[in-house]
Amino acid sequence: MSLRFQRLLLILLTLIIILSAVLLILYNARENVSYFYTPSEIDKSEITINKVIRIGGFVENDSFNKISSSSFKFRITDEKASILVNFDGILPDLFREGQGAVIEGSFDNKYVFNATNVFAKHDENYLPASIKEDLKNTGYWNKKYK
Amino acid sequence: MSSLIGFLSLALAIGINFYLLISRYVFKFQKQRFKFFVRVSSLLTLLSFFSLMYAYVTSDFSNYNVFQNSHSNKPLIYKISGTWGNHEGSMLLWLCILSIFSFFFSFTKNIEENFQKLTLIIQAFLHTLFSLFIVFTSNPFLVNSILVDEGLGLNPILQDPGLAVHPPILYAGYVGYSIVFSIAIAGLFQNTDNEWLYVAKKWSLISWTFLTGGIALGSYWAYYELGWGGWWFWDPVENISLMPWIAGLALVHSLMMVRGEQAIKKWIVFLSILCFSLSVFGTFLVRSGILTSVHSFAADASRGIFILLIFFIITGFGFLVFLLKEPKKSNTLNLLFINKVSALVINNILMIIATLTILLGTIYPIIIEVLYNKRISVGGPYFNSTVIPIMIPGFLLMSIAPILSWQTNKIKNSKKYVLGFIILSILVFIQSYLLDFNTWGFVGLLLGFWIVLASIIAIFSYYKVKLNLKYFKIINPHIAHIGVGIAIIGITCSSVFQNELDFNLNEGDKFKVNGKMVLFEEVETTNQINFQALRGKFLFDIEKNKSKKIEAGKNYYPVSKMITSEAGILHQWNKDIYFILGDQKNNEWFVKVLINPFVSFIWLGVIIMVYSGLIAVTRR
Repeated sequence: MSLRFQRLLLILLTLIIILSAVLLILYNARENVSYFYTPSEIDKSEITINKVIRIGGFVENDSFNKISSSSFKFRITDEKASILVNFDGILPDLFREGQGAVIEGSFDNKYVFNATNVFAKHDENYLPASIKEDLKNTGYWNKKYK
Repeated sequence: MSSLIGFLSLALAIGINFYLLISRYVFKFQKQRFKFFVRVSSLLTLLSFFSLMYAYVTSDFSNYNVFQNSHSNKPLIYKISGTWGNHEGSMLLWLCILSIFSFFFSFTKNIEENFQKLTLIIQAFLHTLFSLFIVFTSNPFLVNSILVDEGLGLNPILQDPGLAVHPPILYAGYVGYSIVFSIAIAGLFQNTDNEWLYVAKKWSLISWTFLTGGIALGSYWAYYELGWGGWWFWDPVENISLMPWIAGLALVHSLMMVRGEQAIKKWIVFLSILCFSLSVFGTFLVRSGILTSVHSFAADASRGIFILLIFFIITGFGFLVFLLKEPKKSNTLNLLFINKVSALVINNILMIIATLTILLGTIYPIIIEVLYNKRISVGGPYFNSTVIPIMIPGFLLMSIAPILSWQTNKIKNSKKYVLGFIILSILVFIQSYLLDFNTWGFVGLLLGFWIVLASIIAIFSYYKVKLNLKYFKIINPHIAHIGVGIAIIGITCSSVFQNELDFNLNEGDKFKVNGKMVLFEEVETTNQINFQALRGKFLFDIEKNKSKKIEAGKNYYPVSKMITSEAGILHQWNKDIYFILGDQKNNEWFVKVLINPFVSFIWLGVIIMVYSGLIAVTRR
């Protein structure tokens, strides 16, 4: 087999693999990527029911309600708007009223958000950079959150 | 006092390294003296690290870093491992490992003197860069400006034996690639014969073995500590460790090609630079706080910029030398249709594309934010559905690749393989059909079993069984692949066939898990040295005499006012039963039970891979 042909074959093969990888990535980037909002952004934008998104903010004070040992209701807020969240399961260890949290899930109807995952911040001094910036922008910024 | 010693020896080490760096032009050392100074600087860095550790062990709160991250009532092991449980200390550990690698490299024999010297100079360059970073942005030896007699305490999540082993071993993997990087650059400059490739092979195997062990330890730690019941979350930091791992795997495989006549030097050099660049890039992403994850310590923008700078210097320097100093032309590749070389080439292409896919997914959120000011998150589903399909052809190939010949198209014993594959497919198909049929499960199981089976066939039909090191070295590639196969089986089973059960229980309740009766005995709180423990006690399989105790609960750490989950895991060879204690209301507790089949296979597979990495390093 001539050298040229081999090289051609190799390049072709690489191209095919790259092409399929790109197609996979493009397809998955549409399907498997979730957008991230703050509660006040949600009110403005149109809500798509059953689309998986993430919401970041703080757990509103006095909003936490334990329905049973595994089912909870609470509100997530950025002080301009707040959203009612339902969650079934085990809350993370650092979940507390007044603390930062990110929830993942989808809207059941225009008002109730069903969370499938709840992430709390991992460290007392630590806040995801993205939320921090938003909170600074919206003016709800407490010095104690570094 | 110890802080002072630590800082002075760190500074002295920088001085020596800087001198080594310019020694080429200013003052030429004798070879022996040059190596002597390399070793002295390594020992100084080590001394600096140990004096920090000493400050931690003696709870010397006049050191600001100790004050911030330690507490006197911590158990000794967490005082020692707490040394690297924070940003500053972990960077010092990084530097320390870098100089240990230089230290050992300076003892390498059978290597051209000038080449070794040049490699060590490049190491000195890296050492200077990173130690300047430590001194200017993350100095662990700062003096505490106030007098205190108690520290703030270590993050409770880190108070685990995992911290003692996971970071040092992982870092040994990351930093080990610095030697490979230096060797490759030195090889470009000197442009000597192929000898440096053998040196590079040894060191890249060492780094890869450490990296494998480090990643596995980290994921085992996450498995039992974070209490989510999984062992891999596609967290940015995990992705970052996976990238140099895959690139390093490609490097190890392409270095195999040196054994045949044709060496693709250029590609090997490229991979060597890439591996270390990815390691530094990972450090940058984690430490800068751009990505949020369990691993980011308090974020600091100036650090991020500094590491970004180092990253650009190293990568820029590496690839610039790569472009300017092209290696001498070696023989061209002989890509016949089905031989070992073409299999290895395809494997390399696949691995690099997989690395790029992970890279893209990891930095995609940053790109989107910069371009569109929208925030997105890319999670597990993206990676599962892009990376795995790309890897599958590679897995198929690896089952047969070791028995392909270097030169010809022939495969010996091909009938055996075809027959084996058909029988196996039917068996796996029937098995998956009897359970719930799941495409991913079927593909994963078939691949895993096929890799194991093909490797076993190869071992027994090609080599005579002998019990000496030479035999184990010859069959080593197959053994490594068996490890991968076993790990694939474990990964498939534990992720596809995981079973989740939820219960609401009162103390004294009985419930059924996997056909066995379980008694929820009681919930108990006890006081430990530095935390309060809340434990739900379970008795598994009460109908038998040998029932097993499982404890799941939470720990409360008063110093940092934090709670951590402690999952209760019952390990069996074919499954883990994973208990998580949830919340309670009116004395009714929420208990989640996960049944993770064949998780132990993942760890077994990794142990086999690490074993074969070690065997491959040993000299013939």
